[in-house]
Amino acid sequence: MRSLDPACKFVGLLVPTFFLAAFSNPFWNLVFFALCFLGLCFSKVNLKVFVGIMAPVLLMAFAMFMTGYHFPAQGNLPVNAQSLHISSSAVYNGLLMSSRVLAYAAAGLLFALTTDRIIMVRSFQQHFHLPQAFAYGLLAAWGVFPHMAQEYRRARVALRMRGQKAWPVSPAVLKPLLVKSVRWSEELAIAMESKGFSGKAKRTQFQPCHIKPVDILFLLLSCVVWPTLLFLL
Amino acid sequence: MKTETWKLRDIILMAIFGVVFAVVYLAVFDGGMALSAALAPAGLSNYAFEIIYGVWFMAATLAAYIIRKPGAALITEMLASAIELLMGNSGGLTVVLTGLIQGAGAEVVFLLFRYKKWNFVSMSLAGMLSAVFIFCYELYYLNYIALAPSLLIGQLAVRFVSAIVFSGILCKVLGDLLARTGVLKSYAIGAELKQPDVYDD
Repeated sequence: MRSLDPACKFVGLLVPTFFLAAFSNPFWNLVFFALCFLGLCFSKVNLKVFVGIMAPVLLMAFAMFMTGYHFPAQGNLPVNAQSLHISSSAVYNGLLMSSRVLAYAAAGLLFALTTDRIIMVRSFQQHFHLPQAFAYGLLAAWGVFPHMAQEYRRARVALRMRGQKAWPVSPAVLKPLLVKSVRWSEELAIAMESKGFSGKAKRTQFQPCHIKPVDILFLLLSCVVWPTLLFLL
Repeated sequence: MKTETWKLRDIILMAIFGVVFAVVYLAVFDGGMALSAALAPAGLSNYAFEIIYGVWFMAATLAAYIIRKPGAALITEMLASAIELLMGNSGGLTVVLTGLIQGAGAEVVFLLFRYKKWNFVSMSLAGMLSAVFIFCYELYYLNYIALAPSLLIGQLAVRFVSAIVFSGILCKVLGDLLARTGVLKSYAIGAELKQPDVYDD
């Protein structure tokens, strides 16, 4: 999975989820989850990171099960309890909701844990024809992320030191953060432009992203074979 | 949309707003998870995240309020979702789509006001239409259509309140506070203020 082109991987993982949404069957949701899980296992992802991300997902899946179980739509359910031989449509409804959370989350994790972020932006820029100013502007803003998180913590600690209680979304916390955002954006733009960056000028690619036969195969499997299976079985 | 109409500074600002509110969302996420776990046995966990859902509409509304250009809300929401994708969480894959849908909701409202009304009402409506747009998507994609209508109406009502609080009230307050510091002199909102104070950090 790591060697796949990020743009192809993105499309190849996103499209099957639309078919899952259309078919509303917990069995296929769980099959998709299992396939993504296998993909993660073969990609040698960091187990600690995986468990850390998976824990809230499991909690959400449980929560969605309970929601589906307690609050099923009456009468016009687009589900079929007989197909899984489950006597209670409430249980089926819960399974449907929770399995969908698992399937989508597994696809998201498979993409997130096997994709290099910088190569992903480059691939999107090249294959989806993302304008240069947006691609590089996005990367510049992404570089600010750790500083922003630090500034946010600092703003909250500063208020606490003064004995003031502030909500996480209090204007007292957000105002200095936003002032810094505006200043950083101006400084970054000036820095980029002073180094000759222009969104209009044609550029060569430092890291060209090529679509390989394996990317085409992955797209065929996920966007053609998978929906065909759902229709036929 | 022509990229020539957007300065690099605007684009980076919009993306950084995405970063800011991603950080804020992460800060409130743990509280949302705890509340979600507490409400899970009763099947009401969806309400936990509905309360903070409005945070996701803030980047688009605030950027549109400051920059006041057609497309600002939509592009900001798209860039914010791309930041979410870069963060690499489990919802990242579909978040680009939700960003597009939410941004379109806010953009439609500003378009209906012909990009001339920038007040609490237009900003709240922008957040509320974003909420409606994304809710329609969730009915299909998250299969909310299989849930009881009473639960869904309650969820949407809480999301509306969240949208009004975060993208209406809070974004208006933050935008005005920010404009008064003087750092937004080169943006449309800053040009409106005659004598902005100089922010001293």
